[in-house]
Amino acid sequence: MNALKPPLFTVILVGLFIWSGEVVARVSGGSVGPLGEGVTVENGEQLFWGPGKCSTCHAVGPLGSSVRGPNLGGADGRIEIALRAAERADERSADLGKEMRPTEYLVESIADPGAYVVEGFKNEMPKVYEPPISLVPDQVASVILYLQSIGGAPDPSLITLPPEIREAARRGTGVVAWEPYLDGDSLRGRDLFFDPEGSAACAKCHTVGDQGGSVGPELTSVAGTRTARFIVTSIVQPSQEIASGYETYLLQTTDGRLLDGVLSGETEDSLWLTTADGEVMALAQSEVARRLEQEVSLMPGNLSDVLTVTELHDLLAFLRTLR
Amino acid sequence: MVSPEARRLRSTTYKLFATAFVGLAAGLLVPESLWAVQGGDALSRIDDVRTFFGLNPRNTVWFVAQLHLLFAAFVLGVPIFAVIVEFIGWRTGDERYDRLAHEFTKLLSAAFATTAALGGLLAFTLFGLYPRFANYFVGIFAPSMYVYAIFFFLETAALYLYYSSWERLRARKGLHICLGVLLNVVGTSLVFIGNAWTSFMMTPVRVADDGEFLGTTLEAVMNPLWMPLNIHRLLGNIVFGGFVVGAYAAVKFLSSTTPERRAHYDWMGYVGNFIGLAAMIPIPFAGYYLGREIYSASPVMGNNMMGGAFSWTFIMQALLVGLLYIIGNYYLWSGMNRIPGSERYQKYIKYFNVILIVCVAIWLTPRNLPLSGSEQLALGGQVHPILGYFGLMAAKNAVVNFIILATFASFLLYRRANKTDLVPISQQGRGAKAVVVGAGLACLLILGWYAVELFTLAPESMDLAPEKAVWFKLPAVLLVVTMTTVVVCVGLALRDRGHVAQALYCGVVATASVGVLGVYGFFVMAAANPFLRQIAVAQWLILITALILVTAIDVVLFRGAGSRGAIRWGHVTARSQYALISLCVIIVLTMGLMGFIRSGLRENWHIYGVMRDTSAWAFTPSNAEMAWMVGMITLVFLAAVTFLFWMVGLTGKEFAPAAATGEPVP
Repeated sequence: MNALKPPLFTVILVGLFIWSGEVVARVSGGSVGPLGEGVTVENGEQLFWGPGKCSTCHAVGPLGSSVRGPNLGGADGRIEIALRAAERADERSADLGKEMRPTEYLVESIADPGAYVVEGFKNEMPKVYEPPISLVPDQVASVILYLQSIGGAPDPSLITLPPEIREAARRGTGVVAWEPYLDGDSLRGRDLFFDPEGSAACAKCHTVGDQGGSVGPELTSVAGTRTARFIVTSIVQPSQEIASGYETYLLQTTDGRLLDGVLSGETEDSLWLTTADGEVMALAQSEVARRLEQEVSLMPGNLSDVLTVTELHDLLAFLRTLR
Repeated sequence: MVSPEARRLRSTTYKLFATAFVGLAAGLLVPESLWAVQGGDALSRIDDVRTFFGLNPRNTVWFVAQLHLLFAAFVLGVPIFAVIVEFIGWRTGDERYDRLAHEFTKLLSAAFATTAALGGLLAFTLFGLYPRFANYFVGIFAPSMYVYAIFFFLETAALYLYYSSWERLRARKGLHICLGVLLNVVGTSLVFIGNAWTSFMMTPVRVADDGEFLGTTLEAVMNPLWMPLNIHRLLGNIVFGGFVVGAYAAVKFLSSTTPERRAHYDWMGYVGNFIGLAAMIPIPFAGYYLGREIYSASPVMGNNMMGGAFSWTFIMQALLVGLLYIIGNYYLWSGMNRIPGSERYQKYIKYFNVILIVCVAIWLTPRNLPLSGSEQLALGGQVHPILGYFGLMAAKNAVVNFIILATFASFLLYRRANKTDLVPISQQGRGAKAVVVGAGLACLLILGWYAVELFTLAPESMDLAPEKAVWFKLPAVLLVVTMTTVVVCVGLALRDRGHVAQALYCGVVATASVGVLGVYGFFVMAAANPFLRQIAVAQWLILITALILVTAIDVVLFRGAGSRGAIRWGHVTARSQYALISLCVIIVLTMGLMGFIRSGLRENWHIYGVMRDTSAWAFTPSNAEMAWMVGMITLVFLAAVTFLFWMVGLTGKEFAPAAATGEPVP
């Protein structure tokens, strides 16, 4: 019997722990039911106290206890947030030099929390429409509607959400990284990159390590700053986003010549133009009659036709090793 | 004819290498098999989630992962414990420590195999039940997994060397302890690698908006939570090791029939509790550091932890940790009955008891309760007008400091219980004086550094208005006051007023850290909230200096002192042994609960903000469900460990202790 006492004692202790968990679950309760459809005050309230995480920083009058963000209720000499928003909107209007309405202030405080930080509090409010909270536009609007209702009359027609909130929802969240369709062979990709006679011959214009040309951006650590999808896009659609400093210019000289290339340097008197062949041409400013920035990259736009699918993935595999 | 010793050695060798093989299979083969399905179109067929023979996959992974972590804590915590104990035995010449260390190292081989098997099972369940997540994760951490496998082999070899060379290196104990240290370095490296994976899931770095990982594996390893989690888990493992040893000794004590055996296991339980409680003292600091970094990395996660979905789970955690302190102290006080002369100090115990209970009660007071309208009207709001203050961080910081200080004071009483006829410090050698002065200098450095930090702190760095700098002055001045006290106390100790120095320093620390800064914290919360973090750091640094200086004075004060009689090991109550068992059960429950919080903070994200768990099981379980799950895991773990202990006991010869006498560990 004595040998059974310690295990029995252990089971009792664990039982007490489970019982305390049951009690705490009953006391803390508040399990949030499923949200209703559409933009409503009720949904906003649920979001405020639940998935929106607003209540982890803000109390509303005597409700809640968080002090990290301003209390949005009307206790202790404060006025409710709907009324406070009117005062703040006047203040913001004066700062910005254009009229801001109370609801616009509420929208701004959620869409761009750092635009106005209440004195005594840190600029640390997250954007609730981005991960990890990731409220969708209707949910953001519901929260604003709930805030309007604290000391005021909710009116959904006054709520206009800025495009970044809809854009965030469109992007989706928590996606798994885009992965290429084939693994690719980085060694073959390396050959493609450096072979001057190959179908890609990237090194004619791009440097990796201490090899390659300087017409285009250096790619020594490209995978450390760019995603695979960006790299693929840059290869097959080079003009979609041209790296800063590598814009193509079309120059018309005073003697009627048309030159295009990348401006690799410029002073008051001279400029240097690097052409697609890698040739650097020095020109006096006085020789240039006209210059026009091009929307097309100097990089060949036909690589998607020139490279096979396998070659493209080999090249990508090599570029992804460059960190 | 093979001797029993050789058979045991061979059996251990087989077990260790079998373990290493399982570990290697988990570390290498599984990722390879995973890669095998990545080619071509197969990628699009990787599922998000699968069930475990129709069972909930989240709970399956939860169960296996927590069980694996508990065993891992055992095989990492016990070697730390063993080396510390072996070192004490070596330096004091007390054979019992050496035997204790050896006895527990013997348990490791079986536990090591179980840990490895559970690790393999965890890998299989992750890859099998969450293949898309596992696929993504391996893409980031594959190199570290190979390193992990190599370290696993090293760990196996180090454990084998450490255990098998025990007798051969008896004459060269220093070398053997070095092997133990090597075992711990390798083991700690292993757990650090695993921590990198876990912490990355909470605070991913170098991940693009579309989820692509742009960094290197090393960058992923060194994510913001990696080091705080390492420190917290390392200390937790030591506490765990100590309390498991304590419980083992308690069970053995309760079943012992001879005075010698009771004396031996009483002593063993004391050592386990001593090391467990000692390692618990810095854990709140480590926990605060971890929490602070969680908040810094993601205020959303931080707020959810302390003020959101997990705030009530933290109340449960406070209850468990509070119980660890109260029961640990109870065991110490109970043990004083076996020390002649302790009656001089027993009258103080009731005060410590009151302090601990009140502090724990404040620690677990929630800020508010979900109340009905009529209840709110009766209370005058959602927050109780007085008790509501106890729910704020300022109050909790203060009482945690006080609990640690009270526990430390309990140790001091225990240490001096049978001491008499002290040798004045002035009559001791230069070494003794150097210890006191050195400790004083260390305290001055710690306090001085932070005083300068506070005096030069820019309010703008915390988004505070410049005039808020006035709030930084009081803590900075208090640090200077404490520095002055350090100088005074060192002077007093050197002039043979060691007791006065200890009392003065503890009093000043309690006043400054708990009283003044505790109350001041409430005002700071209202007027300059972000500065509360610095207040907490100041409180804890002041407290740390008490641990350093008062311990140094204590060691010197009682060096060479006389004794009122040897400790009567074995003369303790059965209740005290159940206290030891409680400590073990509660630490396991606490680790399970903390594991739930750490993992649950990610909510419905596999990797926070990067990869969402889109399965039907992505919700945060209630505290009731958590308690059931953690409770069951605890019972399974303790049953498994008991079985292992029993199994190992079958192979070894029964321990026949000599009559145990001597002094307790310092």
